[in-house]
Amino acid sequence: MSWLEQLEGELTLRGVRGRERERILLELHDHIACEPGCEERLGDPASLAASFAEELGTDMARRSALGAFAALAVTAAVLAVSQLAIGAAGGPPGFDHGHSLLLFMPAMLGMLVAPQVALVAGCLAAVRALRRRRTGSLPAAELALLRRRTRIALLAGLATALGLELYVLDFSSVLAAWWLALVGGAAAVAALALLAAMRALLRAGEIVSEAEGPSGDIFDDLPIPGSRWLGRQPWRLGALAALGVTVVMTALVWHAERSLVEGLERGVVEGIAAAAGFALLGRAIGAAPAVGGEPVAGRERGARP
Amino acid sequence: MKADALNGQLAPLILATIAEEPAHGYAIVQRLEQRSGGAFELAEGTVYPALHRLERDGLLSSSWSLEGPRRRRVYQLTRAGRSTLGERRREWGRFAKAVEMVLE
Repeated sequence: MSWLEQLEGELTLRGVRGRERERILLELHDHIACEPGCEERLGDPASLAASFAEELGTDMARRSALGAFAALAVTAAVLAVSQLAIGAAGGPPGFDHGHSLLLFMPAMLGMLVAPQVALVAGCLAAVRALRRRRTGSLPAAELALLRRRTRIALLAGLATALGLELYVLDFSSVLAAWWLALVGGAAAVAALALLAAMRALLRAGEIVSEAEGPSGDIFDDLPIPGSRWLGRQPWRLGALAALGVTVVMTALVWHAERSLVEGLERGVVEGIAAAAGFALLGRAIGAAPAVGGEPVAGRERGARP
Repeated sequence: MKADALNGQLAPLILATIAEEPAHGYAIVQRLEQRSGGAFELAEGTVYPALHRLERDGLLSSSWSLEGPRRRRVYQLTRAGRSTLGERRREWGRFAKAVEMVLE
């Protein structure tokens, strides 16, 4: 087997394919043609393929995170416009004015819960991608975390777009036709943007990187005060986040509704939801510190990298 | 000199070799060897991932050219690449001067 055939095999094994692989092979074919017999000086085909895969995987994961963030921003804008314009369209209607609760309940989940998950996961993915924008090759564990955050954010974004479509369907006989057309169409456009971002993410996930190193966690991404103390137990950050959400929501609803009781009711519900979200997804998106998992090399917990 | 000793300096070295005129991968490797007096024991293949990275970062641009029956990828510096090279040259000058002052 020739050196080039070995390189081709190693690139394929690591998920580098299509135009990218063709370009690499053509360039190295030209190199060898310039000086036949120089293959040994080119180095080990496996190491070279690994280098290409690590750098390409890093670039694609970073781009897909930023692309996902842009698609999520479109979705957020559609959600905001739908809520701002609904007053002029004759709504918001009561939950029992629609066609079916089977449409209303998932629509509410999509429009209320999913955007919050998308916001947290999408922002964390974008922050990591931007923070590491000058690094040529990231550790495999860090790439996996970046892709996981992006995937969760995109799925939550798609749930939001679906929620909007279900809402449109549920209240199609109550709300103005212009609002139904505007929101239904815009949500479909947002879903297409999210699907395009998901496609890029799936392609990035096909690249196999074996670069060693820690994935890092939320303390690497955000300047959280007291990270040394919080980092010792994952639940501490979750509890603090839930408490923060409770206080903020209580204050907001208290101010808006002029009722402390209503504020407390809404605040506690939102706080419980935040805690549940943290318990379910915290570890997956690196929002919960990695306890007993990968070591955080070269960095003492709480110190800035 | 082992490749490890380059320690992140491969990118500016590549930029410097292309600064005067565009070149393809093999020519870049040759220029690196000639200009360094063969000082770097570099696996020649490592230049290619670096070239691709520099292009992704917008410091190089490249296009296919046809020379006889062969297609070859020719790289040239972008405006950002030229500015980065200038910056790295100044940094290196300061660094080398400081090390020299300590060593002498």
